[in-house]
Formats: sequence, structure tokens, C-alpha cells
Amino acid sequence: MTGDIVAAAKLIGASLAMLPTFGAGLGIGILGSGAVQGIARNPDASGMVQTNMILAIAFAEAIAIYSLVVALLILFVF
Amino acid sequence: MEQETVQPKKSGKNSILWGILILVVVGIVSSRYFHAVLPHVQLPPENLTEHPLISLPVLGDVYFTNTMVAMVLLDIILLLIAFSVQKYIQSGSLVPKGISGAIEAILEYLYGMTEATTGAKWAKEVFPFFAIPMLTLLVANWMELIPGVDSIGLLHASAEHGYPVKQLIPGIATIIEGEAAHGHGFGVIPFVRTLTTDLNFTVALALFSVVMVQLIGVRAQGGHYFTKFFNFPALKKNAGMGSIYFVVGLLELVSEFSKILSFSFRLFGNIFAGTIMLFVIGTLVPVLAQTIFLGLEVFVGLIQAFVFGMLTMLFMAQTLHAHE
Repeated sequence: MTGDIVAAAKLIGASLAMLPTFGAGLGIGILGSGAVQGIARNPDASGMVQTNMILAIAFAEAIAIYSLVVALLILFVF
Repeated sequence: MEQETVQPKKSGKNSILWGILILVVVGIVSSRYFHAVLPHVQLPPENLTEHPLISLPVLGDVYFTNTMVAMVLLDIILLLIAFSVQKYIQSGSLVPKGISGAIEAILEYLYGMTEATTGAKWAKEVFPFFAIPMLTLLVANWMELIPGVDSIGLLHASAEHGYPVKQLIPGIATIIEGEAAHGHGFGVIPFVRTLTTDLNFTVALALFSVVMVQLIGVRAQGGHYFTKFFNFPALKKNAGMGSIYFVVGLLELVSEFSKILSFSFRLFGNIFAGTIMLFVIGTLVPVLAQTIFLGLEVFVGLIQAFVFGMLTMLFMAQTLHAHE
């Protein structure tokens, strides 16, 4: 058991910073289920639903990406 | 006649298939002899020159970075596309074919979407700020898929995390797996690095988009646009509810700045994470696995380019009409 305690703290911090991906995954799941239900009820509107779904997924995913950026900053910059 | 036109196409398809097969075999063989190496991850772009190009008073030294090379390449590609489309328009032929046909289809789709959101009157004004970021980012994001981008470059001695070097032929060497003796390791500075993995570029593009959103708002509403942020009329009319509206307006001002942040970090994070992921997958499973993730990256690059342009367009559409 040898090593740098700062390096260990960095790794723990980076992994904690990735916790928000939980919420992002949940959000994308809810969005996908809503869109599929919408398309099932009204297949004609699938184009509109798809575009809006992808847009909203990009928003939800952005949250996960922010946490990824923070984790990368912790690992490689500080 | 019929057969003659079909025959060359078939042989062309066959040669492509043979080419892919040969590349797969070469990939398998070379991954046996040269193990893929996990590169040193660096957030700011690498400098290609030792000395700064220019020194600015406040901002500091400006180096020639490898993302600038990507920027020049991007400009060349976009100009080539533009010239080929111009040539096709000047030829007067009405049948779209090749790259100009593809560009026409893309622009028509985007224009239709803009028109459906903003209405026919403002579609012409808003459309360029949808199409310009979209096409720019599409080329910039897909540049990471080209082999050699991010992986071919100059060798430089690195103090820590260095890899040993093996010479292939005089003048060309590769870093190989293993731990180099301290102070004798080398790293690679790629000639070209994907443009959107540079935060400077994404922030610049986000600033351009958000500032143009404000300008379109002023053009549509005149001075009345600024009451969205500083709601003095509501304050004058009714001190009670008006003060709440005033604070809401100030929050709108903050959200305008957070738009810049979210625009730039979404793009940067997605593509930067993508490039790192491609390298990590390449080191874990050298053969075939990376191909699947290249497909994923095609999708991510397209979606991010589309979302950037689409959001700019949506924000512009929101500023066209004042809400009382």
C-alpha cells in the first residue's frame, strides 16, 4: 500500500463528479419512453416528435457532459 | 449500352470491398506488432512552435497550435464545397448531382425547419445563423474520424508519462508500449487536432451565436427588446407585481450568459470525450471494436452540430416577438 494520497483523492473526486450521469440517464430514459408512447399513439407525428426528442436528449446529455468536463479537469488540469 | 454503364460501377464496388479487406488484415497484423498506446490527455491544444507567434498585452502569448491547422483545413474544405456548388449553379443544369445535390438537400431541409419555426418573414434573416454553425461544426466534428488526426505528429521529450520510441524507417518513428526511464520518455504532439476539442473555438462560436441572437432581437423589436432584461415599464405600472417582473428580467440576463457556457461546454465536452473514448477503446480492443465507436462518433458529431444550429435558431425565434 504505497502511493500518493493526492492522486487517490483526485481519482475519488473525479468519480464523485461523474455522479450526475445518474440523473442524465434517468432523464434520457424518461424522454425516450415519452417519445415512443407519443409515436405509438400518433405515428404521423413521428418526425416532429423525433426532432424534439433528440433536442431534449441533447439538453439532458449536456448535464452529464458538464460533469465529465469537471471530472476531466480534476484529473488532468489540477 | 446498359451493360457498359453498369460494368465499371460493379468493379469499383469490388475494389472498395477488397480495399476494406486488405485494410482489416493490415490492421490485425499491425496491432500484433505495435500495441496501441494510450496518449497523454491534455485539455488545452498543443503548441507546434517553440516560440509564440505574437504577444498580446492582456491575453498573453499566442502560439501556433495544432487546432489552428485544423481550422485552416476546415476553411479549405468549406471553400472547396462552396466553389463546387457555385460551379454547378453557373453550369445552369437543373438536375442536382454529387456534392451540390447533397448540399441542396441539406439546406432545403434546414430552411424548411427555419420557416416552420420563425415564419416566412424572418426565415431569410435567421437561416444563415442556423446553417453556418451547423455546416462548420459538421466538418469540424467529423475531422476526428479521419485516421491520422490526433495520432500523427512530432515526437517530443516529455518529463513525465513518457513512452519509449522505436524507429520504423529513418525519419519516422513510433512510440511503443512500456515505461521509459525517467527523463527519456517521448510523447506525440499531433499535427492536426480536432477543432472542437479546443475550448477557444467553441467559446468563440457560442459568443457569435448569442450576440447574433441579441442583434436579431433588436432588429425585430427595436429598443423594446431590452425591456426583456430591464423591465422598467412593468415597474412603473405596478410597484408590487412589477418588482417581481423586474427581478425575472434580471434572471433572463443571467440566462443569456449561461447560454454561452452551455453552448460551448456541450460541444467541447461531447467531442473531447469522443476523441478520448476512441483512443481508450483502441488500446483496450485494437481490432474492429473501434469501428463501432467510429459509427457512434459520426452520430454524435452530427447531433451536436445540428443541436448547436437548431438552438441558435430557436433562441432567435423566441426574440422575434415580445411577450407581454
